[in-house]
Amino acid sequence: MLFKKMLRDISRHKAQFISIFLMAFLGVFVFAGVGGESVGLEVNSDNFYEETNLADGWIYSGYINDLFMYQVDCLGATTQMERQLVVDSVADFDNDPDVTLHFVENNTISKFYLLEGEKLDINDKDGVWLDKSFADAKGLKVGDKIKFEFENYTIEKQIRGLGYSPEYVYHASSSSIIPDFNKIGFAYLSYKAFPEDTVPYNVLNVKFDGTPENYNDLLDYHMGGYYSSFVERSEHTSVSQFADEMDQHSMMGDIFPVVFILIAMLIILTTMRRIITHQRTQIGILKASGFKNHSIILHYVSYGFWLVLVGAILGLILGPITLPPLFYPSMSATYKLPVWEPAWSMEFVYVAALMVIVSLAVSYYSVKGISDEKPADTIRPKVPKISTSGFIERLSIWKRLSFNIRWNYRDAQRNKFRALMTIVGVIGCSALLVCAFGMYDGMNDLKDWEYTQINHYDSKLVIEEDTAQSVIDDIAEDVNGDEIMESAIEIESDGTKKSGSLLVMNDTNLITPTDYDRNHVEIEDDEVSISEKMAKMLDVGVGDTVKWHVMGSDKWVKTKIDKIHADPISQGFIMSADKLEDLDLNYTPTSIVTAEHVTQNYDGVKAANSMKDMTASWDEMTEAMWLLIYILIFFACLLAVVVLYNLGLLSFTEIEREIATLKVLGFKTRALRKLLLTQNLWFTAIGFIFGLPVGYFILAIMWESSGDSFYILPSISITNFLLTLVITFALSILVNLMFSRKIKKLDMVESLKSGE
Amino acid sequence: MSTIIEFKNVNKEYKSGDHILKAMDDVNFTIDEGEFVVILGPSGAGKSTLLNLLGGLDSVTSGQIIVNGNHVESFNDNQLTEYRASNVGFIFQFYNLIPNLTAIENIELMKDIVDVNIDGLSVLDSVGLKSHANQFPAQLSGGEQQRVSIARAVAKQPTMLLCDEPTGALDSKTGVLILNLLQSMSNDRNTTVIIVTHNAILAEAADKVIRVKNGQVESIVINENPKKVEDLDW
Repeated sequence: MLFKKMLRDISRHKAQFISIFLMAFLGVFVFAGVGGESVGLEVNSDNFYEETNLADGWIYSGYINDLFMYQVDCLGATTQMERQLVVDSVADFDNDPDVTLHFVENNTISKFYLLEGEKLDINDKDGVWLDKSFADAKGLKVGDKIKFEFENYTIEKQIRGLGYSPEYVYHASSSSIIPDFNKIGFAYLSYKAFPEDTVPYNVLNVKFDGTPENYNDLLDYHMGGYYSSFVERSEHTSVSQFADEMDQHSMMGDIFPVVFILIAMLIILTTMRRIITHQRTQIGILKASGFKNHSIILHYVSYGFWLVLVGAILGLILGPITLPPLFYPSMSATYKLPVWEPAWSMEFVYVAALMVIVSLAVSYYSVKGISDEKPADTIRPKVPKISTSGFIERLSIWKRLSFNIRWNYRDAQRNKFRALMTIVGVIGCSALLVCAFGMYDGMNDLKDWEYTQINHYDSKLVIEEDTAQSVIDDIAEDVNGDEIMESAIEIESDGTKKSGSLLVMNDTNLITPTDYDRNHVEIEDDEVSISEKMAKMLDVGVGDTVKWHVMGSDKWVKTKIDKIHADPISQGFIMSADKLEDLDLNYTPTSIVTAEHVTQNYDGVKAANSMKDMTASWDEMTEAMWLLIYILIFFACLLAVVVLYNLGLLSFTEIEREIATLKVLGFKTRALRKLLLTQNLWFTAIGFIFGLPVGYFILAIMWESSGDSFYILPSISITNFLLTLVITFALSILVNLMFSRKIKKLDMVESLKSGE
Repeated sequence: MSTIIEFKNVNKEYKSGDHILKAMDDVNFTIDEGEFVVILGPSGAGKSTLLNLLGGLDSVTSGQIIVNGNHVESFNDNQLTEYRASNVGFIFQFYNLIPNLTAIENIELMKDIVDVNIDGLSVLDSVGLKSHANQFPAQLSGGEQQRVSIARAVAKQPTMLLCDEPTGALDSKTGVLILNLLQSMSNDRNTTVIIVTHNAILAEAADKVIRVKNGQVESIVINENPKKVEDLDW
């Protein structure tokens, strides 16, 4: 019978129960959905790396012979190794695409992942296993022939299979961050396919026990000088780029859904508590008629339990199914993984369980409080709280305030809990909106800062390695350009090591470093400037001295910091060529920047990238981020509607009788609507005011965790600030409109009947 | 005295599913200005329905309700609101004061809906509650709350006071006080007062007694010499 009562109660208070259900659902849905996306990336890439036995490290050396391998084996920590020759070749197509060839000895480490055709055969002299993305871009099929040119050789092989490689999840040329599979690819061949008998192996793929640091030390200690460099897995371009991408996703995937789920819980709690308090008399009646305390408690606790449970489970299932597929298509254009599937994590289940448990606990304590009273007291409605006149009422101005204001002020005074919850709800929603719009602005600002305010060139010509300085100078002169050098460096201060970038340039008006406020920072010829973020990360300032070295070189130098500049996407040093040479380091230009639009091909230039290309690449790169931002904005709005409607409904039920009385007395619907609207607007305004700093704070945490190379401080544009304001208030008014129908339909006779 | 209220063949049906409940079955009566009318009848006889129809809280199924020459049954929602505001003063069994507002504020609230100059304090004085002006409903006793509610109803100077079991929630002593107050409103201010009750004793104090049963008017009796409420044998 009590079960029947529960079903009827639920159907009578549909809206409230629906909102409990919705909140539980939405909270878990967004949490598990966004989380499922980033966990999915992690799981998919981990599985791929596992399945293909991706190397733990790569040892580069001029020539890797048996003795070399024997020595590596003697390190003890090495568990598996395999050498290969990796060379850059040009495939025989009009656009001279770069294809990296791997001549492998057996391919047990970093295995080629076959999608089409035959398995890689280590004895096949005439076959090649080609990058599937490249093959697709070129329209190549299994069985087709393809010609490569490298060093002094030209080889022609038949395509035996197409597939992916764990070393090429992300594969872009050094000149563009976005992969263009028409221009770039990789291929695996048997060592027997190499035109000479002796293969000059240059890379040793290793698997080892222990940490990469230990292995590196070991290698350095025993074989220092016999190899040119060691790259551990996390430093590998493909691995680290994909890891960065995952970081970006999880940074948004962590904080935002947490805020979301907190609001959802808050709403569930408020609603549950209210519903139970409303049932006070009924609890009294049940008790008076002899129901045991525990069956009453069980009855009321089960109300929320089932709804929250079903909502949470649905969210848990649907979230990861629905949201990740929205992101994966744009990502799979850039990153090559065989499987793009969302993944579940126990964390989602814990959060869902927490939600259910907390709602159970709140229901329990609410009912317990009531059922512990004597039935005689419970059966009667709770004695209304007596309002006391505060100081505002004693002011003479009070009497001149309209009824509307007086009524609302007192109502809020008497229902502080409800008022507080509404305000907190609005704070949450506006904080989410501020945060989402702040991200929107930050992303735009970042692009503008980098590609308009700092870099003013039209084209950037990427110089091939080992190009003679005279050739570079000629090209620079021809295009009226300035030479620059960019390279990856590692900076150390007080034991903290951070990798960053080095920009070496002579005075040019094509690249103008700025500070955070976009004022030009003049870096003199004999000065070294560190980026603000790098300075913060290393906790150094002007006048401090730091140690650094260029990646791939063991030569550490000490530098005093003279200036601080700010940069949105690259953190490290800026200095002049003279300064670099003063530090006894080689100045080797890597690019030429020019205000001219260069389309001509020069020998010695790998690629000519226009500013337009680069911003287009940037846009493509950030597509997933944008999508996430849009989703967040959408859900923040949805959340706002549910929160405001739900809390509005709660207060409406509470004051229904008063509203009915006012209606009977002859108040017009319009006046009553205004009455409710006034309160809504007050709470919205207060919530909004507090929501701003909260949103700012969340935004700050997000940018903070956006990775070492990004530098954005939280800010929101006036336009979007106003938009947030408008959205928040528009939603508040929209919700109010929903209530005006209720006021119109309010049955005066019915509402006045009982003495409750 | 002139007729200000007239019910002509009033029918009211409630539909619940297939079932039709006749709450008002061809009801006819008239009430004169300033009359103190008592509507008597057992539970479910249709007393409250009658009051609700007259007060513009509900609409008739057929028939006419003419108040001050206006056809109330033809009013739309807005007109009904207007009608309630200016013509009807309700007094409920459970007072229905606005809990957020003090006694005097509850009365002065009426300024928002009718264009009448209301001196809250003097109205409160007329029900003997001047000293409680700044108290909230929860701080007042039931009888006091009902007096505030009467003050609120008369403050807007309505054509009629409609009282639905006004003493239903009060002890008899307080009840007499309230009824006395209502009778004096009728006698002294010439306000038409209509009281719905199941307490037959009150009949002797009424100018007119309308008895209803099963949705029909059973009898209409006019007392030539109504007693004073305080003289009734409670």
